[in-house]
Amino acid sequence: MPKIIIDGHTIECRSGIPVLQAALEAGLAVPHYCYHPGLSVVASCRLCLMEMKMPNPKTGQMDWAPKLFPSCQTPVRDGLEVRFRSDPVRENQQHVMEYYLLNHPLDCPVCDKAGECYLQDYTEANGPATSRMVEDKTKNPKKDIGPHTLLYQDRCVLCSRCVRFCDEIAGTGELAVVGRGSRCEIDVLPGQPLENPLQGNVVDLCPVGALLDKGFLFKQRVWLLRSARSVSPADSRGQTIWIDYNEAGIHRIRPRYNEKINEWWISDEARFGWKHVHRPDRLRQPRIRQGVALQPARWEELPGLLRAPFAGVAACASPAGPGGGARLAQPPSLLGRGQGEGQGIGPLAAVLSPMLTCEEAWLLAKLARSLAPQATLVLGHVPVSGHDQTYPNGFTIKAEKCPNRRGVETILQHLGGPTASFQEFLAQAVEGRFRAAYVTGGYPDAWVTDPVAAALARIPFLVVHDLFPSALDGAAAVQIPGAAWTEREGTFMNCDGLLQPFERALPPLEGVKADGQFFYELLGQPGLFRAQTVRETMAAELPQFSEVFIPRDLPKRAH
Amino acid sequence: MSWRTIDRRTAAEQDLGPGLNDAVKEKIRSFFPRYPTKRAVLLPALHIAQDALGYISLRAMRELAELLELPPSAVLDVVTFYTHFWTHSRGRKTIVLCRSLTCELMGGGRVREGLEQRLGIGEHETTPDGQWSYMTEECLAACEHAPCLLINEKLHKGVQAEDLDRILVDPENDHLDMPRSTLFDAPAETKP
Repeated sequence: MPKIIIDGHTIECRSGIPVLQAALEAGLAVPHYCYHPGLSVVASCRLCLMEMKMPNPKTGQMDWAPKLFPSCQTPVRDGLEVRFRSDPVRENQQHVMEYYLLNHPLDCPVCDKAGECYLQDYTEANGPATSRMVEDKTKNPKKDIGPHTLLYQDRCVLCSRCVRFCDEIAGTGELAVVGRGSRCEIDVLPGQPLENPLQGNVVDLCPVGALLDKGFLFKQRVWLLRSARSVSPADSRGQTIWIDYNEAGIHRIRPRYNEKINEWWISDEARFGWKHVHRPDRLRQPRIRQGVALQPARWEELPGLLRAPFAGVAACASPAGPGGGARLAQPPSLLGRGQGEGQGIGPLAAVLSPMLTCEEAWLLAKLARSLAPQATLVLGHVPVSGHDQTYPNGFTIKAEKCPNRRGVETILQHLGGPTASFQEFLAQAVEGRFRAAYVTGGYPDAWVTDPVAAALARIPFLVVHDLFPSALDGAAAVQIPGAAWTEREGTFMNCDGLLQPFERALPPLEGVKADGQFFYELLGQPGLFRAQTVRETMAAELPQFSEVFIPRDLPKRAH
Repeated sequence: MSWRTIDRRTAAEQDLGPGLNDAVKEKIRSFFPRYPTKRAVLLPALHIAQDALGYISLRAMRELAELLELPPSAVLDVVTFYTHFWTHSRGRKTIVLCRSLTCELMGGGRVREGLEQRLGIGEHETTPDGQWSYMTEECLAACEHAPCLLINEKLHKGVQAEDLDRILVDPENDHLDMPRSTLFDAPAETKP
């Protein structure tokens, strides 16, 4: 590992990185706009210039070079000596910051970026707060450049990060720097808007308030938001995200750096994949069927209500306890149809949705097996859309639109016994092999197709644990409202087997109980559900769950 | 902050302008062997397109992008970088006036005023009869003949405001004494 000397302090750094990156990682507040570790280096913003020691061509001695060098473009080499806290460097920063403020409107009170804007920060830290320019500022109009993005051209500092992102990461190149010199602007070719599946990242990349997300525009001030570390359920890759929320709910999702998966970026699916959390038609209270209609029930009575019929079905399956099913909420005449016992298929099934966390899936599977050792465990519906899309730098959007198929599969594999795929389960349900089933959903989009509804309607005692009303409502004996992933904590195992924990951002909707907590109570466990505690129990049986992957934090001053 | 928002997401059919015909496209393709990449053909291709259409229309930009396998915005990027390329239609003859120091000192300002008065148009505008367009340029590289102006590709040296009437009525005012370079008209045969 090379060592460089910044302001007399020796710093050990990773090899092959620019001096700027090394300084940021060492905790120095080096201002920069155009440099981004995920993009090519252009050295155009001139803010990160530092003094460097170079061989003097006259004497051959190492000497402070008379001019400043862009630290973003200078790779570290062992023994390199640079000065950052020096007068020439500071002066340069002041001049450059004054230049950036020449045409920048001072409209921070109405700017969405205020509070997380690097023009604000750097002006406060390095530059003069007032401008000597008395001439009129350039006022160019805003541009509607894409379905999700607005460009406030007059706020742009032309760092060209967005242009490089579209060229290098997305590979679609919708954005361009048009014009020349002081007339430069960012633009798209009219009629060819910015609409690639990764486009939202340009808003995060923009160091000022030039590129803004239309959905977040004028919604919140950023200092009123808190951030939770989360993992996106949008696809099976497990992109790590920040959920920015407050009392009023979620307001936006930003990428959380992850060296193994999504690096600095996320797909638009992940970015905008939270709208369902606030849909007004979410289920808000448990309901049980009384007569033809579903009637509201209290959470406290649910464990008793569910355990008895499930245990009854299980008992009915074993020779010791026929007739146990009489306690079911459905007419007993339907109960004689269980054909599966002889083939090792229990009449009780638990459908573990790939939207469940590993912990929840584990608890539900354990619950089912504790009630009926021959209970069939089913991997729920796995939504797939199109094909995997891979972008030039390797960023991949998976076709599988659920976060935890692999986690559920791992648990099912470990537990063994009767298991089935969702298709097999449906086929068996049509044959009337199940007398009771606990079906979990939790998908953001409607997932109950007609064949699914028809098959599940054949199950006499159907428990549906889902976010939204669906075609299953008519067949369900018990309907339990689920909590969205933002309201739960736990881990998702991504398609490559990487186990990633996420935090809860919001409390569950009023009247809703977090899935994990409910399963915990069903199992008769005392106290509060804690994902980590459950995970530790799981790890005792399943070593795959003993270690979680937490991506490293970015340097504080980097952006 | 400006309160106006312009729509860049859509382009109306009538705003796309004329496209390139097959002969022009074929001519551009004939330049491919001369350059290591298709991207490198962009500049000669823009010259050819502007020769054919008078300017680079949005439709031409899209077609060029398709031809050279570039994102369309990359074509826009280059077109707008060079003041030589026009992005809107222009008159039959384009007057390019120098606005740089030497010409200004030698009376270029008066020439500009005279020209704007006679043509009745501002920079980058076209007379209603479609005859004249006019623009200024930083330097025409003929400071020894300041003030100077170009009519299409012909350089007029030492022009004073009084000369404008004579120059503007001269039907030969854009006639080149020297034949135009064949560079863009007949690309030389190159070995594959």
